[in-house]
Amino acid sequence: MKTTFVRLLLSLSLLGVGNAWAADSLNISLVPDQANSPSPQMGDWLKFHSVVSNPGTQASHGIVAWISLVQVDPGHEQPVDLEDWSAHKAVTQAVLQPGQQVKVEWPMRLIQAGAYRVVISAVDRETGHVMTSPFVDFQVRRKPVVESGRILPVAFGIPALLLGVVGWRRYRGRAG
Amino acid sequence: MNPIALIARKESGELLMSGRGLAWLLALSVIMSVLSLLLVSNTELSLLDNAQVVYMVMGTVTALGALLAVVLGSDTVAGERERGSLMPLMLAPVTPSQIVFGKMGGQVAGWAVMYLLSLPYVWAVGSSGQNLAQAVVYLALFGTPVVLGFGFLGIGLSARLRSVRSALLTSLITLMLLASPLLLGPSLRQSTIGKFFDAVNPFSAAVNTFDSVVIDSQPLAMQFTRLAVTLVWLALTTAFAIRSVRKMEI
Amino acid sequence: MLVEIRELKLNLGSHAVLRNVNLTLEKGQVYGLLGPNGAGKSTTISVVTGLRAPTAGSVSVLGLDPATDPIQLHRRIGVLAEQAGFYDWMSASDYLRWVAGLYRITLSKAEIASQLERVGLEGRSPASIATYSRGMRQRLGLARALINQPELLILDEPTNGLDPRGRREIHDVLLDLSANHGVGILLCTHLLDDVDRLCTRIGIIAQGQTILEGAIADLLSDQNAAVRYRLRVEPGETPDRLPADVTLRARAGDWWHVEVSSHIDPASAWRKLLDAGVRIDEIHREGGGLEDLYMAVTEAKEAA
Repeated sequence: MKTTFVRLLLSLSLLGVGNAWAADSLNISLVPDQANSPSPQMGDWLKFHSVVSNPGTQASHGIVAWISLVQVDPGHEQPVDLEDWSAHKAVTQAVLQPGQQVKVEWPMRLIQAGAYRVVISAVDRETGHVMTSPFVDFQVRRKPVVESGRILPVAFGIPALLLGVVGWRRYRGRAG
Repeated sequence: MNPIALIARKESGELLMSGRGLAWLLALSVIMSVLSLLLVSNTELSLLDNAQVVYMVMGTVTALGALLAVVLGSDTVAGERERGSLMPLMLAPVTPSQIVFGKMGGQVAGWAVMYLLSLPYVWAVGSSGQNLAQAVVYLALFGTPVVLGFGFLGIGLSARLRSVRSALLTSLITLMLLASPLLLGPSLRQSTIGKFFDAVNPFSAAVNTFDSVVIDSQPLAMQFTRLAVTLVWLALTTAFAIRSVRKMEI
Repeated sequence: MLVEIRELKLNLGSHAVLRNVNLTLEKGQVYGLLGPNGAGKSTTISVVTGLRAPTAGSVSVLGLDPATDPIQLHRRIGVLAEQAGFYDWMSASDYLRWVAGLYRITLSKAEIASQLERVGLEGRSPASIATYSRGMRQRLGLARALINQPELLILDEPTNGLDPRGRREIHDVLLDLSANHGVGILLCTHLLDDVDRLCTRIGIIAQGQTILEGAIADLLSDQNAAVRYRLRVEPGETPDRLPADVTLRARAGDWWHVEVSSHIDPASAWRKLLDAGVRIDEIHREGGGLEDLYMAVTEAKEAA
């Protein structure tokens, strides 16, 4: 029993060492641009800034950092396909030396209304898990995009105009 | 006024002042109105869908413009022959080249009317302003060679086939063929043949450009290849129409 | 010579449509081009107007070769085709103004009204052509053919669809043009009454060949053709007092169908009958002459 207990303690300490070895080799920050609208609506552009840095003593290799967006409206939680939100979805870095950092800008066009959470994720060859930045939450206001005040007059007005021309032609024909 | 302008004025007058021409314009405007009214009921559209709506309207205008051009073009020579008004035209001191250029002028006027009629619809659905100005410009820049090309194809077939029905049928089949990639869907267009067809198809060039510009906000510089495809189409159909009318017999 | 055609041949594919057509027309003459359906009359017209090029032979119209100078020729001729098509959505005045524009002619409102009045369409100018009857379209077609004051007028069935008064009005216009303005007229028609009234020369085409051509009087004289009449006489009259130049063909009640030799003046024949005591109430010409000549010539050609 004593042997078992010692083995257990040894395993736990090894696990702790492993965890220490599995600590993030990259630090990732995420802050919104100061020029971002405090109350953005659909169609607006937002920008976020990240700094990916290597706080460790070893170089990091094969770094890929990417932006992720999720909608967090209650009952409508879902990941968002960034296809139309942003053309700048990821950066790569072959090597990040200790103490070196990479600054990244993440521009984004607000396509749909709702509550969103954005996060930057990164992996490298050395670390065995995904490293993430803190979240940034933002709200996008709805903007009416299909205005009936515009469409109805056009949808009825143009055919009515043409009917009027037809009628005028017939009247002129009969009068002649 | 020179004969070309006179004939062009007659052709465009026929569109705007004859019952048949006005009926066509009315039918096309009703289609556009129905499309617009379907959209007005959906106020939950995202900004993305709004761009798609503008793109959809642009594609519809181009397709309807091509349809009208094909109908008018197919009638322009064979119809005159069937109605007996072609011979007096050929017996006037007017060369075949002047006749064909005049009829082409009528096609230009027809598309101009169609384009102007469509602008209120584009404006009405493009209220969010996402690339609305580009939509108006690119509809003219790419829609014009595609639509006029179909019109000139119709003129050439009308001169060669001597029957409105035959010319219209052949033109419509050509239109359907060139519009088919868009109906088949993206997966079929990813094959080698599909990609090749997409690359040389003027209709695809115009519609894909509308997608790129209005939805993806791409600049003009990235559309030059597609613009070249539409201009080559216009050049080929122009040559076909001129040659066909010059060689036609009464 | 306004029109001179010598040994005209035209093949369409392997089919010989015109084999040997000859035609001459002088200034101020009215030439009737006759022939059965499919004889080649319209094809000859298409060569004269430059719409088709001949396979062989010589064609000169107003001193021009229609095949090489069609545009120049079209400036100087007027044509009324058998199918006179128009743009129905236009009014007659708008249409004539548009046609004049093709000839680089600007017509005033008064000039257009005068053109329409000349062909009997006065007061009709605002209405669209779609409302026109067949006869009115025919008149408008003639107005179109006259728009450029042509030196040569080519007419294919110009009185189609016209009532007798309308036909007479058109005849008067054509006779005035030829007699007083020196316009040469090439008239293609099946109506021998029109030919009789208008033409001084005729050409008969059959199976793509000219089988007879010349002045009407000479041709009738050469063929010894007789002219037929229908007489209504008083009841009880008998035909035993007919003069030698008058032959009875048939008799139905009080109607006598007679033939008068083309050599004599029919008035002298009626005078002889009246002098002989025959009481004549009505005299009607039944054709003959030109009609008989036409029938004889074309039947002979078909039999050959």
